[in-house]
Parts: sequence; C-alpha cells; structure tokens
Amino acid sequence: MIDLRNENTDNPRIHNKNSSVINQPSISSLSPYLNYDPVYFPPSQPEFIFPEGAVKQRGRFELAFSQIGAACIIGGGIGGITGFYKGLKVTTIAGQTGKLRRTQLINHVMKHGSSIANTFGVVSVMYSGFGVLFSYARGTDDSLNTLVAATATGMLFKSTAGLKKCAVGGGIGFGIAALVCLWNSRNTFSEIRHHGMNPA
Amino acid sequence: MEEYAREPCPWRIVDDCGGAFTMGAVGGSVFQSIKGFRNAPSGINKRFLGSLMAIKDRSPIIAGSFAIWGGMFSTIDCTLVQFRKKEDPWNSIISGAATGGILAARNGLPAMAGSALIGGILLALIEGVGIFITRFSAEQFKPPALMIDDPSQLGAPPEASSS
Repeated sequence: MIDLRNENTDNPRIHNKNSSVINQPSISSLSPYLNYDPVYFPPSQPEFIFPEGAVKQRGRFELAFSQIGAACIIGGGIGGITGFYKGLKVTTIAGQTGKLRRTQLINHVMKHGSSIANTFGVVSVMYSGFGVLFSYARGTDDSLNTLVAATATGMLFKSTAGLKKCAVGGGIGFGIAALVCLWNSRNTFSEIRHHGMNPA
Repeated sequence: MEEYAREPCPWRIVDDCGGAFTMGAVGGSVFQSIKGFRNAPSGINKRFLGSLMAIKDRSPIIAGSFAIWGGMFSTIDCTLVQFRKKEDPWNSIISGAATGGILAARNGLPAMAGSALIGGILLALIEGVGIFITRFSAEQFKPPALMIDDPSQLGAPPEASSS
C-alpha cells in the first residue's frame, strides 16, 4: 500500500498523521478515491498469496502444439536433406542435367520432406492426444503417462500392418519412452544409489 | 488482438505449425472417413475398411499441407513484425497473400497470382471478423456512468488501529 503520509512527517504542525491526506492538493484534485486513509481498511487477514494448487509446470495440452510443430519441422528438415541426397544420386545415374535435373531435385526434396514431416507429425499428434487423454483421465502427469502414451502411439501407428508389426511398434514406443523417462529421472536414481551406498 | 495469449515471435512459428497440423489431421480424418465410407464398395464392413484406408492414406497429406500453410504464414508474419515494428491486421493480410503465392510458386505465375489473391482475401475476412467481434464484445464491458463518492463522509478514523 502506498503510504502518502511520509511527505508530511517532518512537518511539526501535523501530529495526527491520519488526517493529512485530505489536505494534499495534488491528490484531492485527482479523484476522491485516491483521497482515503488506509486506516479505514485495516488488514483483516495476512496479505500474502500462497501458491496453493498451482501446477509446477505447463500441462501436456499447452505443450502439445509446440511438440507437434517441432516434430513436423524436424521431420521436414531430415526428409529434405535425404531427399536432396537421393535426388542427386538418382539424377546423376540417369544423366539428367540443367533444367530437368533442377526440377527433379525439387521434386525429390518436396516428396521426401513432406512424407517424413507427415510421419513425424502424425506420430506426434497421436502421442500428444494419448498423453492429454491419460493425464486428464488419471489426474496426474507422470512417467507412467509417458510410457503408456508412447506404447499406445506405436501400436496405433502400426495397427493396420498386422498384429506382429503392431506389437513391434508398441515395443519401439515403449523403449523410447523408457529411455526418456530414465533420462528425466536420473537425479532420483542417483540419489537412490547414493543413499544405498552411504546409509548415513 | 490476443497477442498476449500466444507465444513470442520466433517460437510462434513452431506453435502455429503444430496447431495447423493438428487441425488438418483431425479435420482431414473426419472428411476422409466420410469420403472413404461413401466411395467404398457396398457392405458395411467394406465401407468401414474403405473409411479407414482413406484416413490412413490421405489425412497425413492434408495435415501436412495445413502445417506448411501455418508455418509459412507464421514465418512471414514474424518477419513482417520484425521489419515493420508493429502488429496489425495488415501483417496477417500480407502474409496470407504471400503464403498463397509462395506455395503456388511451382504452378506458374497466373496460379501464383490467383492463390495470393485468395490468401489475402481469406485473411482479410478473418481479420475483419475478428475486429467486428472485438467491437461488439467490447460494448458489454462499457463502464457504467461514473459515480464519485466522497470518502470524507466516513467521519473520523477509528482510533483503535491507528499506529
């Protein structure tokens, strides 16, 4: 709260500090709302804001679009580079030069880039969808969500290619998610190991 | 303008790209499922299978086109913000036209001009609708007639809590 009375403290004429605000011309001309004495509103409760119920990080839904976009852009970059390389190889073998070669190169880059970007993006959309779904359903956001969402993503992505490939896809998703989870919780593991070696 | 509800500028490209990809994926799935269902041979199982195949084959492509549109649009928008030092509807309109033009660049000059025109008009419509919605929704937040109370009527301050 702004204490406007401090300007008049060295004035010996005013001893009752509570009545001084009304006489300040600069404030009383602004608005009567500013012309009040804070004593009228005694603080009935402590003036703190406690971070109760706050989530410590952003949820999955807020991160989802950025993740999907990043996956798309990275996939596009990888696909573009491989497409350029393949296009160079193919046009060299076919002996195409000049304008024809340029067009073929652009075709290769566009085709590979978009196909890999689409694949990455679709996987990312599936993963984000499952992740958001699970974190809403369970009410928490932890490593188990990551694991289950990645496994489900792998299985859904390969679900039209037969049972065996579906299982392989789920296994790949689970493996990647397990690696990510281990990397994310490496501090916890090192603490556990530390406690195990030195039970002091 | 809801510029404070979005990411700051370089990261907005990634965010918009992802949002557009998701929009395209969901919308493309719905659209392709209906199309595959209608175009499949008769028999309810074959229809559902055709629907599934259409989703699998076509919706990533639609999603990718949306993502390219969104990413390109956002990139040009951010570039314009950087150069013009302001964010206004003209940025969106210019970047919509430029995006339409660039993405049709391989189809020849007339196609580019047509796409750029369509992109610009589309974005101008969107921005116009946004401005009108803001105008109309601002009406309900108009403050009522100002009523000034004089706190000097409260009387003498309470003595108990005076310091």
